[in-house]
Amino acid sequence: MTRFASPAHDERVTSRVGRWLGIAFAVCFLTGLLSHGIQHPPSWFTWPSSPVWLYRVTQGLHVISGIAAIPLLLAKLWSVYPKLFERPLVRSALHALERGSILVLSGAAFFELITGLFNVAQNYLWGFYFPTAHYAVAWIAIGSVLVHVAVKLPVIRRALAPPGVDADRRRFLRTTWLATGVAVVATAGVTVPLLRRVSVLAWRSTVDLPVNRTAAAAAIEVPADWHLEVVDGEDVHRFTLDQLNALPQATEELPIACVEGWSASAVWGGVRVAELLRQCGIAPGVDVRVSSLEKSGLYSTSTLPGTHTGDRRTLLALRVADQPLTPDHGYPCRVIAPTRPGVLQTKWVTRLEVL
Amino acid sequence: MRAALFTLGLAALAWGAYLAWDFAHASFRDAWQGAAFFIGGPLVHDAVVAPVVGGAAYLLTRLLPPTWHAPVKAAATCTAVLAILAVPLIWHPFGVPTNPGLHDRDYWAGLGIAVAVVWVAAAVVGLVNGWRRSEQPPNQSKQRAPTEMGS
Repeated sequence: MTRFASPAHDERVTSRVGRWLGIAFAVCFLTGLLSHGIQHPPSWFTWPSSPVWLYRVTQGLHVISGIAAIPLLLAKLWSVYPKLFERPLVRSALHALERGSILVLSGAAFFELITGLFNVAQNYLWGFYFPTAHYAVAWIAIGSVLVHVAVKLPVIRRALAPPGVDADRRRFLRTTWLATGVAVVATAGVTVPLLRRVSVLAWRSTVDLPVNRTAAAAAIEVPADWHLEVVDGEDVHRFTLDQLNALPQATEELPIACVEGWSASAVWGGVRVAELLRQCGIAPGVDVRVSSLEKSGLYSTSTLPGTHTGDRRTLLALRVADQPLTPDHGYPCRVIAPTRPGVLQTKWVTRLEVL
Repeated sequence: MRAALFTLGLAALAWGAYLAWDFAHASFRDAWQGAAFFIGGPLVHDAVVAPVVGGAAYLLTRLLPPTWHAPVKAAATCTAVLAILAVPLIWHPFGVPTNPGLHDRDYWAGLGIAVAVVWVAAAVVGLVNGWRRSEQPPNQSKQRAPTEMGS
């Protein structure tokens, strides 16, 4: 007969760890939903262009809460582990349903955390398209969390009442918080500048402005007669690189914030998109489709919403850190707009088309 | 409140199930790989991870003097969590894209440093615990009976 005598298995411990795990999952879900909404906006959805760090923070929170959820999930499962050996296995149909829902919850939670952790390392153990799978299972995870909380609410209320002091329970909880803190500090430097050197397990480097897709990987060849086309219905305006450089230039400090949670601020120089549109007789504030020299691939085009084309900080960047863009950063020009996911900051731009 | 949470949860589950069906329906390979990740987590945890953790905690409780239980278990837990976080950065059987500025640190060294910091901190806490215990009169230094995961 298995015996679990530790106070770690007390419902007061389970509920306290569960509360933080629930918060981590809720933050993860909501920030993930936002990121999904920005990339696949329904007609009613708008995403602001201010403050410039907004997406950096929401997506940073997404991965940090995901990382924090790893030790919290393990502690929570250890706390309830004895329930796995409860007999009889099934007492009633309702009991069977409850046990089944916990299997779904646990499966969805592991799925999200494992695929998320490997995805930020760009380590693809699977063949499927990560965003679709991660997004679908996120709904299953949050749904089963809500059902689980509803089922357990009386126990949670009882267990979260002020506890009598128990040194062993407290020790288990402290270890859980400590391990969660260690996990966060070891990785959060991907987006928190102060932790950049401290986070030894961060998936971005300490110095460079990272590149998530190189010119070689995207098979970019800039033609000798490259020019930018700005298309508005029948009107087509063409600009060579020299002509773009001759337009009024602006400089903005803007972060690149990746869906994978890392972010990096840089000083970008180039032409304001709003100014470029005005030069073509187009009022800023319209949606614009941005096309890349990249022939295929999911991110060869993006739609820059009116909120962002109307924001004067949105640049068609020609330089970064006072140097012309390198091929990997999008030479001859790229879009850099405030508070947008990195995958939508289209590089190697060849065409802007008013929608 | 309960009914609202339950209904909201069921609605999210139904929508997730629909999306998952859509995902699985499109490709047989994606379906079985997705299912393997979904089922694999709880299976590996319940059959391997949890027994190993329980066994290790039990052994530590048996082998260590009481003042060292908490710091050693906490350090072991932190080490395990750091190791989990390091796995995708260190072990990549199918390679990773060469992207400048990404996953280019020395992760073995980083893991080593983080683990060393954790264990130095544990050693300090253990020594301080021992010193405090020796300062206390004997009747106050009584410890609870050891449990299999008392940290």
